[in-house]
Amino acid sequence: MAGVTATRYSYEHMFAFSPSRPDLPADLVARLRPVSLSHARRLPLEEPWSALVPGAALRRGWSVVVQSGSGLGGLSVALGLLTGASRAGNWVAVVGVDDPGVVAMADLGLDLRRVLFVPRPRGAWAEAVGDLLGGVDLIVVRPPGRCSPSTARRLVDRVRERGAVLVVLTEERSWPVPADLSLAITQTRWATTSRLEARYVTLRVSGRGRASRVAEHVVVLPNRAGRAEAGD
Amino acid sequence: MERLLGVWVAALSEEAPDGSSWRAFAALVEALGALSPFVEPVRLGLCVIPVRGPSRFFGGEDAVLDAVAQTVRDVTGCEPSLGVADGLFCAELAARSSRVVPAGRTEAFRRAQPLDALGRPDLSATCARLGIRRLGEFADLDPARVLGRFDAGVAHAHRVARGELAELDGQRDLRLLEHLARVRGQVLERAEQGGFFGESAAGDERASTAAHRVRRRLGPEGVVVATLRPGRVPEDRAALVPWGAPRSMASDDAPWPGRVAPAPASTLARPVAVELRDANGAPLRVSARGILSGEPATLWFSHRIRRDVAWHAGPWPSLERWWAHARPRAHVQLVLTSGEAVLLMAQSQRWWLVGIYD
Repeated sequence: MAGVTATRYSYEHMFAFSPSRPDLPADLVARLRPVSLSHARRLPLEEPWSALVPGAALRRGWSVVVQSGSGLGGLSVALGLLTGASRAGNWVAVVGVDDPGVVAMADLGLDLRRVLFVPRPRGAWAEAVGDLLGGVDLIVVRPPGRCSPSTARRLVDRVRERGAVLVVLTEERSWPVPADLSLAITQTRWATTSRLEARYVTLRVSGRGRASRVAEHVVVLPNRAGRAEAGD
Repeated sequence: MERLLGVWVAALSEEAPDGSSWRAFAALVEALGALSPFVEPVRLGLCVIPVRGPSRFFGGEDAVLDAVAQTVRDVTGCEPSLGVADGLFCAELAARSSRVVPAGRTEAFRRAQPLDALGRPDLSATCARLGIRRLGEFADLDPARVLGRFDAGVAHAHRVARGELAELDGQRDLRLLEHLARVRGQVLERAEQGGFFGESAAGDERASTAAHRVRRRLGPEGVVVATLRPGRVPEDRAALVPWGAPRSMASDDAPWPGRVAPAPASTLARPVAVELRDANGAPLRVSARGILSGEPATLWFSHRIRRDVAWHAGPWPSLERWWAHARPRAHVQLVLTSGEAVLLMAQSQRWWLVGIYD
């Protein structure tokens, strides 16, 4: 096994190109589908994410910040947070991620039938997120560069108002508004055999209010099967 | 924009009262599907096939054209009109004029087209009075002035003329796959109707409305959806299509031997040319037997930007694309000393960055 340790490292110039569920009878489905599903205040998280977040779920209205050097696993963490809700039937959107790895997303556990991609919103990324609110329940957005405090504030307010969850994927300290939940990648290490085997991602997790205690967790992302699991 | 082979069969482009053109077109789409898994029907009479990557890596482009032409003749008895260019709009124009636009020449090709190509006679007439007859002249107009003078449809067409968008609104028949499915007696789902239990639920309606809003803001390619298709390497398996365009819901759960795993969270739609060198600075190659000519030491993005390689695995050769047999590909995984892991593809003595394990 060989491993590589890295701290946060930004290489935007390098990548300046920038880069089953069984069928059920219809009548049974109608009875099983919870009427209030779309309005439930919590969106489910799967393992290992549920162990990281106070309350083991995402709350509607939250803005979540995932901080990571480019190429060090931030995108996988942001997408991983969506898997529970995606599998529970919620729609998700991925905005500003130029080249989404669709196979990796499916391996992670996202249901591609309910994912909208807005890969290159150019200058209109905040407007695109605004357009999606009310239609999708979770939105991952990678703003192209620094975001002004007023834009960020407006967006966060709208997300809260519309009861969605916004997951902002940023490089260090480029999101100007305090987040309800923040996950920062502090270290990544690849385990290898004759192929890439697994990546151990160390996350510093903090919230607001009662949940403001900072905790460190290690998540394996991806593991051999392309999924996420607890690494502690 | 993706380089596309356009297949235009004029004789099949009009609906025949007895439904014969639909049946012939459905048979053609199926037959072409045996040649390439990436055939995309666009409208009655028109299909496109992605010819991915810079054309110099597809020494087989001529072979593709021959095979497709022969298939059209065999299946329909009609003579097709074939062309290659970047993006759907230009690929259709190229096909209708039987032109293979060389790689990198699509812009010049597009600019030389008459304004009528945009399918707006009113616009053509107005512009003709101003002495504007070619797409290039129209493209050079200030977008703000175009938007001020014309409706949003023209503003969209203007972006197509400028090469900012790959296809005209309405160029695709959004109900085409349904129609074909009826003809073939198959069941396909429309992308926007991907209901969780095969029905369109309230949540899907809301998502659909939201997608429409984004589409209006950013154009038909602004919102895309994804499906998986069979294949061994991640960049072949992912299919991203504009939202609202039909997509097959064929699932891809068959295990493929030698599949490159794990899949990178970021898969580059347009691979980036890189160089892989050994400790002495000598460029590395993959031999015909799939062996690396040395130990990778540095990954060069440009003359100035390079990263040291901490670890590598592969190459894994792949030969599954039917027209690429003469140009086998191989994949290599790298971990850089700076912590990132990337997926490279080697083809025709060149290296391409195809994925980032972000």
